Amino acid sequence: MEYDLIIIGAGPAGYVAAIRAGQVGLKTAIVEKEYIGGMCMNWGCIPTKALLESAKVFNKVKVAEEFGIDGIDLKKLSFNWEKAKARSNRITRKLIGGVSHLLKENGIEIISGTARLGSDHSIYVDDKKIRAKNIIIATGSKPKAMDKMLSNAPIVEMEKLFELDSIPENVIVTGNHVSSVEMAQFFNLIGKKVTLIANSDFFMVGLDEYLISTVTEKLKTDNIDLILNVYPEKFENSELHIGGFKIKCDLLVNCNSRKAIFPESEIPLELTERGFLKTSDTFETNIKGVFAIGDVSGKSFVAHVASAQGIHIVNYIKGIKGNFDSTTYPINMYTIPEMSQIGMTEQAIKDVGIEYKISEFPLSVNGKAMIEGNTEGFIRMISDKKYGQILGIQIVAANATDMIAEAGAFMNLEATIYDVAKTIHAHPTVSEIYMEASFDAVEKAIHH
Amino acid sequence: MRYIFNFPDIGEGLEEGTILKWYVTKGQAIKAGQALVNMETDKIVTDIPSPKAGIIVTIYGKEGETIRVGSPLVEIEIEGVLGDAAVAVANEPVKKVIPEEEGAAGVVGTMELAGKSAILPASDEGPSTLQQEVKPAAKVQATPLARAMARDMNIDINTISGTGPSGRVSKEDVQNFKSPKRSSERVQSNGSAAVYASGESVTYEPLTQIRKAIARNMLNSKQSTAHMTLFEEVEISELMSIREKLKKPFSDKNTKLTYLPFIVKATVQALKLHRQLNSQIDWENERMIYNNRYNIAIAVDTPEGLVVPVIKDADRLSILEIAQKITELSDKARDRKLSLDDMKEGTFTLTNYGSIGGIYATPVINYPQAAILGIGRILKKPVVKEDQVVAGNVLPLSLSVDHRIVDGGEASRFINQILEYLSDPVLMMME
Repeated sequence: MEYDLIIIGAGPAGYVAAIRAGQVGLKTAIVEKEYIGGMCMNWGCIPTKALLESAKVFNKVKVAEEFGIDGIDLKKLSFNWEKAKARSNRITRKLIGGVSHLLKENGIEIISGTARLGSDHSIYVDDKKIRAKNIIIATGSKPKAMDKMLSNAPIVEMEKLFELDSIPENVIVTGNHVSSVEMAQFFNLIGKKVTLIANSDFFMVGLDEYLISTVTEKLKTDNIDLILNVYPEKFENSELHIGGFKIKCDLLVNCNSRKAIFPESEIPLELTERGFLKTSDTFETNIKGVFAIGDVSGKSFVAHVASAQGIHIVNYIKGIKGNFDSTTYPINMYTIPEMSQIGMTEQAIKDVGIEYKISEFPLSVNGKAMIEGNTEGFIRMISDKKYGQILGIQIVAANATDMIAEAGAFMNLEATIYDVAKTIHAHPTVSEIYMEASFDAVEKAIHH
Repeated sequence: MRYIFNFPDIGEGLEEGTILKWYVTKGQAIKAGQALVNMETDKIVTDIPSPKAGIIVTIYGKEGETIRVGSPLVEIEIEGVLGDAAVAVANEPVKKVIPEEEGAAGVVGTMELAGKSAILPASDEGPSTLQQEVKPAAKVQATPLARAMARDMNIDINTISGTGPSGRVSKEDVQNFKSPKRSSERVQSNGSAAVYASGESVTYEPLTQIRKAIARNMLNSKQSTAHMTLFEEVEISELMSIREKLKKPFSDKNTKLTYLPFIVKATVQALKLHRQLNSQIDWENERMIYNNRYNIAIAVDTPEGLVVPVIKDADRLSILEIAQKITELSDKARDRKLSLDDMKEGTFTLTNYGSIGGIYATPVINYPQAAILGIGRILKKPVVKEDQVVAGNVLPLSLSVDHRIVDGGEASRFINQILEYLSDPVLMMME
């Protein structure tokens, strides 16, 4: 059986590429060893955000009285892990069902099993051989394993978190990225004692330093201990020994930085220094006609970029050429408040020597933010001095992860700060802070 | 009151012209109809007369610069007209500016200038330069940043081709844009080639308007028609002796008699019998257009390039009149004084390359006409007459037809008719 395209891995890189391939008429098969939807739908983006949303509601209910709602007995208030998990499962099941349906509807053959790359553009799935003109590797990544010395510790990876019947009192989360912070805050919101540890002093690499300090401050006010640049030494008597501390630990959640998952291959696949699949500008590996997208290529670790790469590469195979802009995409953090960033950080702008201007506007004076009781946050727009081109935007707000989409449109269309100032924003909305901040850049904010 | 006179479309969809010579200077008083500037367009070199009397306030464009139709040429301070009256005057169509005399500097026969080609500035202070920019009808799509950059870098964003969705111009496109040589950067030009860069092995010269037009027309003809060429020979000893006899009386009338007038005559008479050859196809309306006039265009070689003036209604002219018309048109062509009128409405073309050299050719049809007849050099050749090989005078002919319109049989019958007339000129004169 010869296909135009075989995709290995049905996560947000692979399944989106497959649907696109079906739409443009490529005879396509997708090989998945376990989970349609990948990490994103099974234990990543969707389920963790569903859990966080439950935690946010739990938190919001506590201030119901402030909004004029009586009858809530705070003493009786508790977080039901099983029910929150069940809600999350309902959502993911629905979405995964949707993806499976779309794959079928677009004529994609779904092959269950583990793929192995043969030579001559063939793929073996459990010893069945299939061939394709093009192959996309979208096998994703997993967190680096914890040190062997900690094998006696109650370690859980996100994949298994949803199998737990309950969450114990003392939780340690490892990792130095957005998802580590999200999980730390989740456990904190549902009333656990949380410590966040990272084995390097790089924390939240890629985020603007201003946002990083905001996150650090937030962790402090939330009473989440943050310990950087330390390696766990051992686990003993329900305590994690780390950097001279002994931290009570009933659950150790592994949100470590990620390493690629490779398929076996008869022709060795070339790797980058950091251990990901080495790819060209057109996402092609060292084997002609074999592409790699998503986490496995190490070019980005977010679902929306992986999906965009998938569409891009199918277009490329179809002869629809275009550049892939790998810089303008949002990085979201679904904490309370949410944080989001797009474009260049202030440090990166300084490094390339562009003269810039920063325009800020706080949520504390925004009407809608007051109405919602979410006045924690701000917008920060960085524009170049010469033309006013928007170079980067950071937002901290309850709905920052949605609000950043507007910034994406502005940046993709190469809008200037003057265009933002001219864009009428509805009143009252939190998004008015865009307009106010750009007024500030152009001349003077109205409401500040 | 200021009146801005824009470079008018003096006919047949001109797009631009090159200023060869200014006749006026700033501050000079001019009369209506007086020549302002000598322009080379893709068809002709012509004087542009002033539509108004007044004083020249501003002159746009230097000699050698290319001006687009609709762009300002001059600003004239109109005397004695104020306010609304001036607007009315300026908006009124400028009719029939007729140059005083044939052969004078101005050769534009009739110019109907619509009111739209004239703009009055909003105030007496004169127009801002911005208002005078000629913008293409459709605004190019561009990102705000690209617009800001182009403005800053003094690049007309409409000249940049965008690589974004729907051809949107982005920052990168502006950065990658290499400005073409602006016309003002060209070295002075008097219609002669301006050399602006020379490498070791090649010399770069800008295309002249006439070369642009030739290139466009030739390519259009080859791409729009189905060319087919037929070669024939005709023995013309009899025609030669008639020409010898007529030479004297013609030169008495100051007219040089060549073979061409006879060929024009033979062609016209053959066209009358074969109307397919004097037609054109109207594809859009799915119909044929048969010409009832016999306007014979004649290709004339000039130093600047090929021009094709037209002998109108050649069927109503005698050999003498045709000869006179040919002389007149070739003189005008040589002096670059052909008017647009002189070159309009041809229905069939003759190209007499044989006068320079060449026996057979595959002439390119003067689109949208249906055919072109090429005339080669007359050769002394052995011919068979009454079963005897004798020295003959042979005229080679090459007929290119648009095979969409003219079938092979019809083309053969047509050229046979011409051969018959040329080999028996008395018959031709009788008909």
